[in-house]
Amino acid sequence: MNAVAWAYLAYGLMAAGALGIYFALPRGGRINRAAALLFGAIAAGGILLVMYQGLGDTARPSVVFAVFSLLAVGSAARVITHRKPVYSALYFVVVVLATSALAVMAGAEFLAMALLIVYAGAILVTYVFVIMLAQQSADDPESLSMVDYDANSREPATAMLAGFVLAATLSGLFIQRKWPSVAAIEEPAGNTVAVGQELLARYAIPVELAGVLLMVAMIGALAIARRHLPNDMLPARPPELPVGEIGKTVEPF
Amino acid sequence: MTTAPQLMFIGAILFALGVAGFLTRRNLIIMFLCTEIMFQGILLNLVGMGLMRGNLQGQAVGLFVLVVAAVEAGLGLAIVVMLYRRRGTLDAEKWSLMRG
Repeated sequence: MNAVAWAYLAYGLMAAGALGIYFALPRGGRINRAAALLFGAIAAGGILLVMYQGLGDTARPSVVFAVFSLLAVGSAARVITHRKPVYSALYFVVVVLATSALAVMAGAEFLAMALLIVYAGAILVTYVFVIMLAQQSADDPESLSMVDYDANSREPATAMLAGFVLAATLSGLFIQRKWPSVAAIEEPAGNTVAVGQELLARYAIPVELAGVLLMVAMIGALAIARRHLPNDMLPARPPELPVGEIGKTVEPF
Repeated sequence: MTTAPQLMFIGAILFALGVAGFLTRRNLIIMFLCTEIMFQGILLNLVGMGLMRGNLQGQAVGLFVLVVAAVEAGLGLAIVVMLYRRRGTLDAEKWSLMRG
């Protein structure tokens, strides 16, 4: 097959994937499971076909690579189609695991471990906390049924059309290209040492700026999320002393 | 000969899935999860581009993307908590007045 035929095949499989997610999106709390599974299976097979044959002159990925790729894409589809936020967060953990496995297979071991620790360890815990915080109370009978904004998605057809156009455009870039051949990355002391040297030699100032950014974000998050107490609930302030009297008397504990 | 094109292909699909989910879900928390999926796609693309260029710059920049993702999650969830306290709902449609 020539490049144009491969490109149309890729567009077709992206359309199948978009249709699968369209049928899997909750509408009134219900999904069309059979149609979603059918189109999802078509899209998964198409992704495998393109990965093995359609990208042009590349190395063939291993079976493990293909399995983790499909796991990442399938779990991401579940994240955006699941009706319950907690399950979406748990499926996102699977996405992170699959992504870090793919990064390990690409030789980025330090980045993969950082992904696991930061995403699965820290960010996901924050998400689950916020989901728990925002659940209705247990004695509220409304909380057992699904809330409206989880049961109904917003403009699914238009959103899937936009997603299809984006996915088709992006994947069209990869079809039957002539990829440059490059040498393997030299890491005599291992990936962690090499990345550390790269960070502190080439990206020293950005590393410091990242630290500042994290601190600013931490203070900002505290300032945004704190509770604003009304004035009469604040503890009483001690009376103002004249300048010469400050510090001369000490209140007993 | 690497598998970098496959990595970038999967990353592109993840990014498009994140965009589609961000457009169509109404729960604020799920919308932020969708941005995290986009970050995963970008990370895979950075790793693939680093492989293709044969150096470690892709992985180093990927770590900065990780920092930005952590910052975004912290601030975004703080805003979600604040909005939830104001209206008692996570529905993004309830805040459509901000659309102008």
